[in-house]
Amino acid sequence: MYTISTILQILFWGIASGCIYVLLATGLNLIFGVMKLVNFAHGQMLMVGAYIGFATSTSLGFNAYLSVPVSMACVAFIGIGVEKFAFRKVLGENKLKEIFVSLGLIYIFENIVVLIKGNSPERIESPFANFKIAIGGDISISYDRIIIVVIVAIVLVALALLMARTKIGLAMRATSQKNDAAKLMGININRIYMFSFALGAALAGAAGVLYGIIFSFDPYVGALPTIKAFAIIILGGLGSIPGAVLGGLLYGVAEQSAVFFFGGIWQDAVAFAVLIIVLVIRPNGIFGEKGE
Amino acid sequence: MIQKKAKFPLTQKNGKLLTLLFGLALITAIPFVERSPFIISVITLIMIFTIYASSWNLLAFSGQGSLGHAAFLGIGAFTAALLSIKFGAPPLVGLVVGGLISSGVGFLVGATCVRLKAWFLAMVTFGFSVIAIAFFSQYDSITSAITGFPPPLLVSTGQFYFLALAVATISVASIYWIMKSKSGIALKAIHGNELEAKMSGINTTKYKLLAFVVSTFFAGIAGCLYVQNLGYVQVSIFSPELSFLPLMMSVIGGLGTIEGPIIGSIIVVFIRDMLPSVDPHLQSAVGSLFPAVSNVGPPLRLLGLGIFLLVVVIFLPNGIASLLRRGYNYFITDKEQVKN
Repeated sequence: MYTISTILQILFWGIASGCIYVLLATGLNLIFGVMKLVNFAHGQMLMVGAYIGFATSTSLGFNAYLSVPVSMACVAFIGIGVEKFAFRKVLGENKLKEIFVSLGLIYIFENIVVLIKGNSPERIESPFANFKIAIGGDISISYDRIIIVVIVAIVLVALALLMARTKIGLAMRATSQKNDAAKLMGININRIYMFSFALGAALAGAAGVLYGIIFSFDPYVGALPTIKAFAIIILGGLGSIPGAVLGGLLYGVAEQSAVFFFGGIWQDAVAFAVLIIVLVIRPNGIFGEKGE
Repeated sequence: MIQKKAKFPLTQKNGKLLTLLFGLALITAIPFVERSPFIISVITLIMIFTIYASSWNLLAFSGQGSLGHAAFLGIGAFTAALLSIKFGAPPLVGLVVGGLISSGVGFLVGATCVRLKAWFLAMVTFGFSVIAIAFFSQYDSITSAITGFPPPLLVSTGQFYFLALAVATISVASIYWIMKSKSGIALKAIHGNELEAKMSGINTTKYKLLAFVVSTFFAGIAGCLYVQNLGYVQVSIFSPELSFLPLMMSVIGGLGTIEGPIIGSIIVVFIRDMLPSVDPHLQSAVGSLFPAVSNVGPPLRLLGLGIFLLVVVIFLPNGIASLLRRGYNYFITDKEQVKN
């Protein structure tokens, strides 16, 4: 029953869905790393991104993959608004407050989308929906999943270059290490905060379009991906982007294996079980340092 | 100085107690005057959510924010209902046992989480409620959780209002008593700064667990009552929405105060469950702007709730209760000043 091709399929499906979580988790990690902010409404950015992708690809007739940059730009703007009018007001205060603000944002985003689009499940039509590569037996991998892996890889490389090579990347790294010192060095912290949040939101927007291509989504889809992204960050270590990539891929594979071996009901639960075990053994995550 | 002095004179305490008793009597009298079963069931729901939100609030009082409290609501509800269906236990015994089982599970979760900081804890509790969904769905043959079933009635429909009122009064009073007792001071210290609390000789683990156990006990009891009012027990009781509601109520009402969850549940239940009567008007007023939805009422009301929560967190960090307190103190101190 467990032939090589089944295992290959689990692996590949895991990697493809894991890639989406990687994007989400990287964005979250960026926001957390730079701003020390816990944004539980991050999954709603994914949801909004998926709807923007849906709107551009159905109404405007864009290729589904071309709507990725459109969605990234739109969600980045939304992110700027969210940061400026909601999170900045409670930044640096009690951590619980950030959770409360996120909760308010969750309600706001979900219901705005319901009002505009209704709450029936949607799916982004991909131009490659019927193309598959057979890998033996009746098992195959769709083009879509391969393209998604490639897109995520490109986005991540671009992000890594941005962080390592550009001036703003340097400023972000400085702020994440010590914001007071960064301020003294003449960095406009508020602008860096705004930029990081917008960048994180843009990554979520990209993740949203890709999510909408492989899964169906509705306005309430955001909650679980957020929590999964947090789980990945915890697995991979706070503030570490390579950690988030590794954690995300591992998480995707674990999730698909759980579906295969225990059944669909356990898809979300097994992953949390792993997370809880990790946290119990190491309260700050696998690679996490002390603090926060 | 005068303001400080006026805060707790004895007469005022008696006055507070009298107001409270008078209020309780008034609430008890409602069913004799108001015959509409809808209004009665909404008020009952407010009382049940008061228990639930107060239990969440006690946990937050100790600095531990749970995002998965619905797990305990559900465990209490399922235990009580299954106990009386499968083993023929008297429903009221089920109510207590439901609370006890829930607090037992709460103890285990609390013991697991005791070292975790705010948002790690939020994650783990949320994850726990997701695991509870999977668990109850997996053993559907025993729990019948996926299709759901009506729970056996605790008391007759007419008496349920009074049962809910009695349980709510007892729960809120016990939570108040804990908050004001020595343990309450310890919990407050832990909330303030855990390390400092530990340094001053407080056994933080013990008190954090105490908050967890008591909180999940009342959440379990609230769960039994909640499904009675709803009319069925189903796995949907573990939904994130039900986990978020007590948080919302406590924050809107006033975090860490005893009256906060009560005020919060009145406001939130009113917006969520009482206002559907205005939906047709909303639909005819702005419905044409949103052709995608057949009824604009529910999303508009929830949107309003979200904005309301945001505004309260940002501009009124201590909730509506702080407004009321300010008003109360203002009037009382004014009188005292006139006397002086």
